Amino acid sequence: MLELYHWEPNTFFLKPLIALKEKEAEFTSRYFDPTKFEQFAPSFPQNVESRLHLEREGPVLVSGSATISSSFFLLEYIAESVPGAVLNPGGAWEHYQGRAWGQFLGLSLGAGVSALGCARYLAPVLRGRDQKELKARVEQIEPQERRAAWAAVIDGAYDEKALAAIRHRLEFPVKRVEGALGKGPWLAGREYSIADIDAFAMLIVLPDLAPDLVNEQATPRIVDFVHRMRERRAVRDALAMSRTGKPQQAFVPGAEPSRWG
Amino acid sequence: MLRLYHWEPNANSGKPMLTLAEKGVEYESHYLDLLKFDQHQPEYLKVNPDGTIPALVHGDRVLTESTPMMEYVDEAFDGPPLRPTDPVERWRMRWWMRFFDAYFAPSLSMIGWSVFVGPAVRQRDPKELEAAIERIPLESRRIAWRKAMFNEFSAEELAESKRRVLFSADVLEQHLARHPFIAGNSFSLGDINGFNLGYALPLSQPEHCNDAKTPHIMEWLRKIYERPATKATWAKGRTAMAARVKMLERGHHA
Repeated sequence: MLELYHWEPNTFFLKPLIALKEKEAEFTSRYFDPTKFEQFAPSFPQNVESRLHLEREGPVLVSGSATISSSFFLLEYIAESVPGAVLNPGGAWEHYQGRAWGQFLGLSLGAGVSALGCARYLAPVLRGRDQKELKARVEQIEPQERRAAWAAVIDGAYDEKALAAIRHRLEFPVKRVEGALGKGPWLAGREYSIADIDAFAMLIVLPDLAPDLVNEQATPRIVDFVHRMRERRAVRDALAMSRTGKPQQAFVPGAEPSRWG
Repeated sequence: MLRLYHWEPNANSGKPMLTLAEKGVEYESHYLDLLKFDQHQPEYLKVNPDGTIPALVHGDRVLTESTPMMEYVDEAFDGPPLRPTDPVERWRMRWWMRFFDAYFAPSLSMIGWSVFVGPAVRQRDPKELEAAIERIPLESRRIAWRKAMFNEFSAEELAESKRRVLFSADVLEQHLARHPFIAGNSFSLGDINGFNLGYALPLSQPEHCNDAKTPHIMEWLRKIYERPATKATWAKGRTAMAARVKMLERGHHA
């Protein structure tokens, strides 16, 4: 039996929801609110990997006695072990392309999208909370990278200069995806795959968060890709699991930007 | 014919080298000297326009991401399987490879570039270095090379990198106390990845990585070092960097 611990269907929480819906797999949805730090509750499934994984607060899939984390590898786990539709079609070459996209976009889009989303949507939510209580709660977070990521949102580290730098860093992955979609409708070969689920879950928010970067004129293929993805039944079903009605405004700290600058 | 463009058996270059050796796959070796910026020369940019190494050319396919490249080699060629069949162990292998690649490696390489790569090129004519930076295709790599060449790493950055390296070693020691190999019970690409990053830890961090403090890491490194494929791969090294692996001989005393 599968249990998916997730929040609103957005960014890294959206990925396994789409994959499980594509598979038409039976799973138990365990909805939690990471902005209320429910992922640190003693009852929340944890292991060393879920504590240290680089997307910080992302989804966790409990499969038998295993606790699976890190969204792209969750997609691979679902693609390879859950019966149903084939989500990793092709052979070694197509799989390589999917993994290369997953690695590249997970670290580039994954970092930038989360930071822009947290600055726009999470920071105001946290400002409305009791600051003393909030900071005391954040002080308890381990490891320190996760603590620092929350503190950065609370302390307003994402000023205009920082946000401009993040938008600039997003130009490169966005350009790469736009170029790749010029060669075919999907990212890893001729068929739809987990690479498309992975990219979509992060690209879907960019027309809102970085409209200068992703729009019909600058990136027509990405806009079309997002539109085509939204038309898939599994994607619609996954997005329909939102409880707020505004899943694309749900952000928590994600992958860390490169420390090399 | 398979062609591999690589530097020393170390970090990203060493990952496909050791994987190919473990699989018993022959390849045409193209050694690029990172410190002479061979990877930014026009001839290589025709192979990989990003100017990063390694690159694997298999027919008309060009692979440039080293960790996915390892999985490709395991999947595309005959030879002993290097990925667990159990889905949970396979996930664990991938999780740790990402931890190595995205957390451990950037910190370890920042230290390595500040104490080794930077000083190795810094004495050259500044105009020559600026021209070399201008030839680098990727902005992120231009930033990295500029920091190394002109010693622009701050004390805080280096201290944080050191902290992360030691934290990674602690986490790895605990992991290897529970599992003999990265993925679980069998040798896998996760071990190849980790070895390429960690083989010199006992030399670079002797106070923190040694038989008393990290016995499981030491035993894991020695087990991997003793594999014929590892010895054959590190024998291809041309510099003192690769020769450091000999410290893993049992009974070795520095």
